[in-house]
Amino acid sequence: MILGRVVGEVWATRKDDRLERAKLLVVRPHGWYEPRWQTRHVIAVDDVHAGVGDDVVVCLGQPARWSLGAENIPVDAAVMAVVDRIEVDADAATPAHAGPGIARRWDAPASWNGVRAR
Amino acid sequence: MLIGEVVGRLWASRQADGLAGRKLLLVRPLAGVDVGGVPGAPAGARRDLVVAVDGLGAGPGERVIVAHGSRVRDITVGAEVADKDIVVAIIDDLHLDPSSERRASGPPARGQRRW
Repeated sequence: MILGRVVGEVWATRKDDRLERAKLLVVRPHGWYEPRWQTRHVIAVDDVHAGVGDDVVVCLGQPARWSLGAENIPVDAAVMAVVDRIEVDADAATPAHAGPGIARRWDAPASWNGVRAR
Repeated sequence: MLIGEVVGRLWASRQADGLAGRKLLLVRPLAGVDVGGVPGAPAGARRDLVVAVDGLGAGPGERVIVAHGSRVRDITVGAEVADKDIVVAIIDDLHLDPSSERRASGPPARGQRRW
């Protein structure tokens, strides 16, 4: 799963029938792992009432479909949680300390609640 | 899923059987003010193109949502198709607020939003 902030909404009329009731949000990831397209946004289906400005946890792939309660919907990302509070160890979160492939492009905003320097 | 702009179509005379009869679109992932390439990505990465199978009738200039994965492929255009990037929606409207500050912490009050 990745952490990101909701920055927008998308509306589409012509779409796959199974997306009829899906609410689609534009999420700007705070960090990617294995980015497939090198994009700085991901479209995620929301069923936990997230809104623009919320920090959210987004699940990618098959588990995203499971969480939406159906396997036969053509989506690959879903909002799993709306974040109330984040605590980050500012030192451990720097790219130099990140494990292989993890959060190497970390750009967590310093204004996050609960960010504490060691 | 990603948002991209359809920048063209693609045809091939010699191709895998799994692509026969399929409409292939060239999609460029959206690179707006704040939805461009990942910082530090190789130069030109934000110009990367995705070749997606279209079953909705999207055309050049339209913005579409492209979903990825074999399961998505299986349940939309069919398991026999040899592409895992599928156009699943054509965008009418897009509202972006890239500068959005984080909302005040605390559980959101349900029912106060319009959705």
